[in-house]
Amino acid sequence: MKKIIAILFVLPFFGLAQNSSGEIHGDFNLNLQTYNEDKSIGALAADEVLLNNAYFNLLYTKDRFTVGVRYESYLNALKDFDPRYNGNGIPYRFAQYNNDGLEITAGSFYEQFGSGLILRSYEEKTLGIDNAMDGIRLRYSPISGVYLKTFIGRERNFFEYSNGIVRGVDGEVNINDILKLTTKTKALLGGSVVSRFQNATNPNFNLPENVAAFAGRINVLSGGLNWYSEYAYKINDPIGSLIENNYASGNAITSNLTYSQKGIGVSLELHRVDNMVFRADRAAVGKDLLLNYIPAISKQHAYTLVSLYPYATQPNGEAGFQIDLFYKLGKGNGIGGKYGTKIDVNFSRINALNGGPSYLSDDINHEPMLISLKGEELYYQDFNVEITRKINRKVTIAAVLAKQSYNKDVVQQQTGYGIIESNIAILDLTYKIKKGHAFRVELQELKTEQDDGDWSMGLAEYTISPHWFFTIQDMYNWGNKNVEKQLHYINLTAGFIKGANRFEIGYGKKREGIFCVGGVCKTVPSSNGITLSISSSF
Amino acid sequence: MKNLLLLLIIVSFFGACDVVEEPFTTGDGTPIDTTSPTAFIKKILMEDYSGHTCSNCPNAARELDALINIYGKKIVPITIHVGKTYARPYHISQSPKYQYDFRTETGESWNDFFQITNLGLPKGMINRVGYPSSAHGVEVTNWNTIVQTIIDEEPDFGITISPNINSNAGNIDINIEVLNDIQGDFNLLVCLTEDSVINWQKDVEASPNVDVEFYVHKHILRNSINSPWGESLQTNSLYNEEQEINKTYSINLDNLEQYNIDYSENTVELGNGNAGGWTKENMYIVAFIYDNTTFEIQQVEEVHLITP
Repeated sequence: MKKIIAILFVLPFFGLAQNSSGEIHGDFNLNLQTYNEDKSIGALAADEVLLNNAYFNLLYTKDRFTVGVRYESYLNALKDFDPRYNGNGIPYRFAQYNNDGLEITAGSFYEQFGSGLILRSYEEKTLGIDNAMDGIRLRYSPISGVYLKTFIGRERNFFEYSNGIVRGVDGEVNINDILKLTTKTKALLGGSVVSRFQNATNPNFNLPENVAAFAGRINVLSGGLNWYSEYAYKINDPIGSLIENNYASGNAITSNLTYSQKGIGVSLELHRVDNMVFRADRAAVGKDLLLNYIPAISKQHAYTLVSLYPYATQPNGEAGFQIDLFYKLGKGNGIGGKYGTKIDVNFSRINALNGGPSYLSDDINHEPMLISLKGEELYYQDFNVEITRKINRKVTIAAVLAKQSYNKDVVQQQTGYGIIESNIAILDLTYKIKKGHAFRVELQELKTEQDDGDWSMGLAEYTISPHWFFTIQDMYNWGNKNVEKQLHYINLTAGFIKGANRFEIGYGKKREGIFCVGGVCKTVPSSNGITLSISSSF
Repeated sequence: MKNLLLLLIIVSFFGACDVVEEPFTTGDGTPIDTTSPTAFIKKILMEDYSGHTCSNCPNAARELDALINIYGKKIVPITIHVGKTYARPYHISQSPKYQYDFRTETGESWNDFFQITNLGLPKGMINRVGYPSSAHGVEVTNWNTIVQTIIDEEPDFGITISPNINSNAGNIDINIEVLNDIQGDFNLLVCLTEDSVINWQKDVEASPNVDVEFYVHKHILRNSINSPWGESLQTNSLYNEEQEINKTYSINLDNLEQYNIDYSENTVELGNGNAGGWTKENMYIVAFIYDNTTFEIQQVEEVHLITP
């Protein structure tokens, strides 16, 4: 039946494509990896020897009509992906029509209300996350400045869908457009509701079958100032255990104030989250069937060792803030140098809620203090400074200094590790040899007394624009207290890019760890093998 | 008109919200009557895949206790410690804790086949329903939901177990009565479990230390008597109502225990041979019939190894 539905979605491509009007676009991505046994790093061989993730998107657009499908193939899924992906299929297919401001989508869709506190349906392939909705969505703008969205559907869970039915509505008003104001200051107000229905058949507990979450937001922009705040509330949402359930409501607030003008930027961000795990199935765990997303409040680092201990947002309960200051020293003076110098200073701190997240049962009623920082369990702290300076026409240097505290027990849900204190220094030097030829070197050092101890990393990259790049990288865990674990993780990579096609082949060892995007993380097992990546678009 | 429609949608969303007031518990926990006027009721095999260093696993054990409290004899439990991540014993140089190896050849064979540890512990299989899709590995909080969907199914087989154990050896007679005309490829598996094994267990609910020295491990899988996958019930695929099938197994507990010790010492990854110390008074015989194509359990029965 699912195949028939997919074919019905695909058929219009062929029929309509023969008519010269309309456009077809798409992209393809293939990731292959071999897995060899490597006892030194605890890497296991794959029975299949070779594992594969591949995606093919196809999109047809004609006037106000759009249809699209995505074929996904996991034969079998790469080891850092959930084995429930194993198999082939067309889990994403949709048809969309736009008429007089009303947009109708039937099938699969992604959606986000506000910053995502009560709804974020999205895909992040690198994390193995795809919580697309399958159902009906309407978007409508009845008058200028008023934007309404509503949907009903089930959430994707690998190649299946949630038991719970999810309904949502969101409205946003641009005050300036409504009142026809022409002031420099602009304001937007928004509100949303998301509700999940799921049968409840628990002989021991009275469970809610309809669980709703509400959110309101405001965004004010004036010159270089931008203030965004959102508050969300979720009613009781017990997981449905036979022995113990938490009936506390949840809430979250996020506020972000930024100021920027040429050469300077300041950002202050804070959030508090209490019991805000919201899923399309009350009993799901891990990253399964999440409906909402709590934006990360720490800097998302690009360099390897400064992101060796990345923070994963704790939607069950945390409070934190982040300050970011960006400044560009002017060109042509002694401090800024001939080409100017960029300085980025960032500090973030996240800790537990007072006494833990809210909890309500027949015997317990706990509600954490609204604001409590001193003495609370530290989850994560990061102070870092990044300086980038172009020395001359050939040489550019970037340097990073960071001091991090990382609560491994909380972030990775383990016991006995405590807080990992680390100091990190990074130097990144790019030398332009001649036109189209560049050589880049990274030298990185992480010092810590805990966990795996000290690490060094070196990377050399040669780029021949626009087609070729070659990279060699070595991570060396020379400070591990276990001498047998003082290992090198060497990786070689070569890539070729031509037009819209990109090929990359690599060989090397990966260490076991966690990988995060936007505060959402996955566990990556150690591996030893060859990787091949091909991507193409049209 | 459109605006009115949208207003109605918004109002209906606000109504779609069930705030539950105290008390949150319902009833008084009275067990559901699972007795039957007929000789046999269909029972449910609850496999709890676990590990002694899996700190969330005791939550599964508590959920299993709650299911047994509600559904009584309809639930036949087996706890299976599997994999090297959460079930391997610690090397003595690492810690004096977690020295026991609960793993068995049978449990590891089931885990290799059903890939439960890949789904993350703790997980359960409920009559092995859902295989081969990943639905067979069920989250703890969904156990009750699945049990409720199959609790009233009628049995096609009745199993009667009659052990006759003297000292550490003896026979186990299994009588299978076919209750309906049925066609299929069915296997019978007979295994031993042990209750109340005291040893270390990480428990996320324990305070102030998650390492619990005198944790009571219940329904621990000890060994299969007739291989990890049992044996065919009969060569003919046609089963007739009122047909009876009898099987007899001779067992020697010392040999079975030594088999586990040898498996731990010589075969399973990171084993240490510390897998003995069985207490036969706490042991049970579990026999189940499963469909050799779908692997779904058709009937299961449990009795004490030695009549108390």
